[in-house]
Amino acid sequence: MGDTAILTEQLTRRFGGLTAVDNVNLRVTAGQFFGFLGPNGAGKSTTIKMLTGLLSASSGRVELLGLDLAKDPVEVKRQIGVVPEGMGLFERLTGAEYLDFVGRMYGLDRPTTQKRSEELLEFMQLADRPKSMIADYSHGMQKKLALAAAVIHGPRILFLDEPFEGVDALAAGALKALLARMTERGVTIFLTSHVMEIVERLCSHVAIIHRGRLVAQGSLDELRAGITGPEGSKTTLEQIFLSIVGQSGGESSHVEELTWLL
Amino acid sequence: MAAIGQVLGVGAQIKLVAGLRWRILRNSLRKKNNRMDLLGLIISATLGSIFVLGMCFAFGAGAYNFLAGGQESWIALLFWAIFLFWQGFPIMVAGFGATFEFRTLLRFPLKLGAFYTISLAYGLADVGAIASICWLISMTVGATAARPALAPVMVLAAILFVLMNVTLERLVGSWLERLLAGRRTRELFYVLFVVAMISIQFIQPAVRRYGHTALPRIRHLSPYLAVFPGSLAGRMITGAARHHFNDVWIGVGGLLLYLGVFTGFLWLRYSAQYRGEELSESVAPARVAVRSTARTQVNGDALSLLSPKIATMLRKEFHYLTRNSFAALLLIIPPVMVVFFSSQFAGRHPSVSHHAVSTDLFFPGMMAYMIFILMSPAYNCFAYEGRGIQSYFMAPVSFREILLGKNLMLVIVLALELILTIAVFNYWVGLPSTAVFIATIMAATFVVAGQLSVANWSSLSFPRKLQFGQMRGQRQSGMAVLITFGMQILLAGISAPVMFMGRWTGNSWLPAEAFAFLAAAAIGGYFASLHALTELAEKKKESLIEALCR
Repeated sequence: MGDTAILTEQLTRRFGGLTAVDNVNLRVTAGQFFGFLGPNGAGKSTTIKMLTGLLSASSGRVELLGLDLAKDPVEVKRQIGVVPEGMGLFERLTGAEYLDFVGRMYGLDRPTTQKRSEELLEFMQLADRPKSMIADYSHGMQKKLALAAAVIHGPRILFLDEPFEGVDALAAGALKALLARMTERGVTIFLTSHVMEIVERLCSHVAIIHRGRLVAQGSLDELRAGITGPEGSKTTLEQIFLSIVGQSGGESSHVEELTWLL
Repeated sequence: MAAIGQVLGVGAQIKLVAGLRWRILRNSLRKKNNRMDLLGLIISATLGSIFVLGMCFAFGAGAYNFLAGGQESWIALLFWAIFLFWQGFPIMVAGFGATFEFRTLLRFPLKLGAFYTISLAYGLADVGAIASICWLISMTVGATAARPALAPVMVLAAILFVLMNVTLERLVGSWLERLLAGRRTRELFYVLFVVAMISIQFIQPAVRRYGHTALPRIRHLSPYLAVFPGSLAGRMITGAARHHFNDVWIGVGGLLLYLGVFTGFLWLRYSAQYRGEELSESVAPARVAVRSTARTQVNGDALSLLSPKIATMLRKEFHYLTRNSFAALLLIIPPVMVVFFSSQFAGRHPSVSHHAVSTDLFFPGMMAYMIFILMSPAYNCFAYEGRGIQSYFMAPVSFREILLGKNLMLVIVLALELILTIAVFNYWVGLPSTAVFIATIMAATFVVAGQLSVANWSSLSFPRKLQFGQMRGQRQSGMAVLITFGMQILLAGISAPVMFMGRWTGNSWLPAEAFAFLAAAAIGGYFASLHALTELAEKKKESLIEALCR
C-alpha cells in the first residue's frame, strides 16, 4: 500500500441536533482517483468542507499528506487544491485577475503565476474573453475557471465538488484527460459527483456516504464483489450504489401511488 | 394519463395574481423576524396614507378653487403633478420595490391578451397608481362641486388620463426591466439615481443664485408643454368650462392618440416577452481570435515593498473598488459635500447665516464628517466578497494578511480623499491655522486607526452580504450599524474635548500633541489586535461563509 494522502478518524460534524457527518473513517492512498458518492443531503459537501478547512469538525481528526489539518492548516492548504461547492470565485475580477490572485496567494511568483494563468486559460478555452468579469461568465465557464484556480499551484491533493456540472462535453473530455494524467503523476484526486458514469470511468476507488455514515469503501472491484448484478453482465456503479443506498431511499417504491399521473 | 386542467378566464387569473401578491407581502412580513422592520413598514405605510389623504384634500380643493374662481386653465397643473408622480414614483422605487417579477407568469398557460390585461390590472394596483387615482377622484369631486355641469367631462378626462398613465407606466416599467437586467446598465442606473439624489441638495442654492434669470426662459418654454398629456387633460376641462368644445375634442383626441401609441408599443414589448425574450445578465461578446502564444512579459511590481500576499490583496481590493459603482460613488460624495456645506456655512458668502463659521472649527468638523462617511463600509468589509470568501479560507494565508491588505487599501483611499478634500477646502474656504491643521491630521490618524480594529471585529462577527450595483434589499447588519454609530460617537466624544483643549488652556499646539499620542496608541492597538482577529476569523469562518455565500 502506498502513502496515505487523506486520512480521517471518527470525523463528525453536528449542526444543532442534526449529525450531518457521523464518525467517518476514510483512507485514500496517494495517487488514487477517489470518488465520494452519496444521495442528496448525505454529507458529501460537509465532509469535503471539513477536509479542506472550510468547516470545523465537531470531533475527529483530518490528516492530509501526513499533516494534521487542525494543527498545521497553512502548510496543508499550500499542498491542496479545492473546487468547493459554490466555486469560491471573486465575481468582480476577470478570469486572469482571479488566477493571478490565487497563484500569488499560494506563494507563486508573478512571472510563474502569469505564465500558468495564461496556459490554464488557453487550456480551459477561457482566453478569448480577457476583459469579461467572472460575473458575466456562464456557469460552465465559472466551473472551468474554478478548476484552473484549484490546480494553478500544482497541488498534491485535489478536492473537486461536482467539477463537471455545467461543463460542456468538449471541455469535460479534456479535463478528464488532464485529471487522469495528474493521478499518473502521483496527485490524489478526491471527487464528488452525482453522475455515476463519470465516477465509474475516472475513479479507481470509491466511498459511499449515506445519512452521514460511511456505508461502503474500497476499489470498484471490491465493491462489485459484494453485489450480485444481472447474470452475465458486469455490475455497474449505479447498481452498486442503488443496492447500498436505494433500498433505504425509498423514492422509487412510492411511484405507484401517483395513480393520477400514471 | 392524467386529465389536463382548463385554462382560467382573465378575471380568475387577475384574482389569482392579486392573491399571489398578497401572499408575497404577507410572507415577506412573516420572514422579517426583526420587529423594527415591521414597525418601520407600519410607520411608513401610515405616513404614506396621511400624505395621500392630505394630497387628496389639496387636489380636491385646488380643482374647486380653480373652477369656482374662474382660473380654469390652472387645472392643467394638477394633471401635470399627477402625471409626474405616477410616472416618476415607480422609477424612484424600481430598485427597492417588491421582488415579484410579473413576467414569471409567462410560464403559465396565458394568452397574450390576458397577459396584457393582467399587466394593466397589476399596474393599477401599484402604490403610485392608487395614490394618483385617489387624487383624480378628489379632483373630480372638487370640480363637480364647483361646476356640476363639468362632471361628465371631468370623469371622461380622468378615465382617459388613468388609462394613458397606466399604459405608459407599464411601458416604461417593461423597458426599465429590460434595461436593468444587464449588470452594467443596472449599475449605471444606480449611479445616476444617487447622483440625482445628491444633486437635489444643490437645487436651493442654484434657485437662489440663478432663479431670477431662469424664470423668463422657463415661461418661454411653457407653450410647448401644451402637447403633453397633463396639458391636454387640462385643456378638456378648460374648454368645457369656457364652452370651447373644440378644445374638449382636441384634448380627447390627444389623450386617445397617446393611449393608442403607448398601447401599440406596450403590445409590442409584451409580444416580445410572450415569445420568450431573453433578459439574461450578460450578453455573449463577439468571439475574438484566440492568442496563439502565451504572453509572458511581466511588468515590474509597483508593490514590491509589501509582502506578496498583502500586495495581492491590495491589488484585488483595487480591482473591486474600480468595479463597484457604489463604493466609487462614495468617494465622490465627501468632496462634493464639502463644497455644499462650505457654501452654506463657511467662506465669504455663507447662505445660511451672515456670519461664517470659523475655519478652525469648520475644518476639523468637515474632516470628521468625511472620515465617518468613508469608514462606514469598513464595519462590513467582506460585504462584496460573495462566494469569494471561501478563497481566503482555502488559500495558505493568514487572515492577518487579508485584513492588512484590506485596511491598507482603505487607508490609501482615505489619504487620497483627505488630500482632495483639503485641496477643495483650501480653494473654497481657506485652510485653518497650522496648529489646528496638524491637530486635525493627527486626530484623523487616531480616529481611523482607532476604528479599524473594531471595524475588523465587526466585519468578522456581523457579516452581511451586499450585491454590487443593487439597491433592493441592500442593508448592513443591524449590529454593524449600531457598532459603527457607537464607535463614531465614542471617538467624536474623545476628539471634540481634545480639540477644544487648545482654546481652554491657551496652548494651541496641545491638541496636536495629544492627538499624536492617541494616534500612536491607536496604531499600536491596531497591530496588536491582528493576531486576535486572525483567531476570531478561524472561529467565525462558518458563519462568515454562510452569510456571504447565500
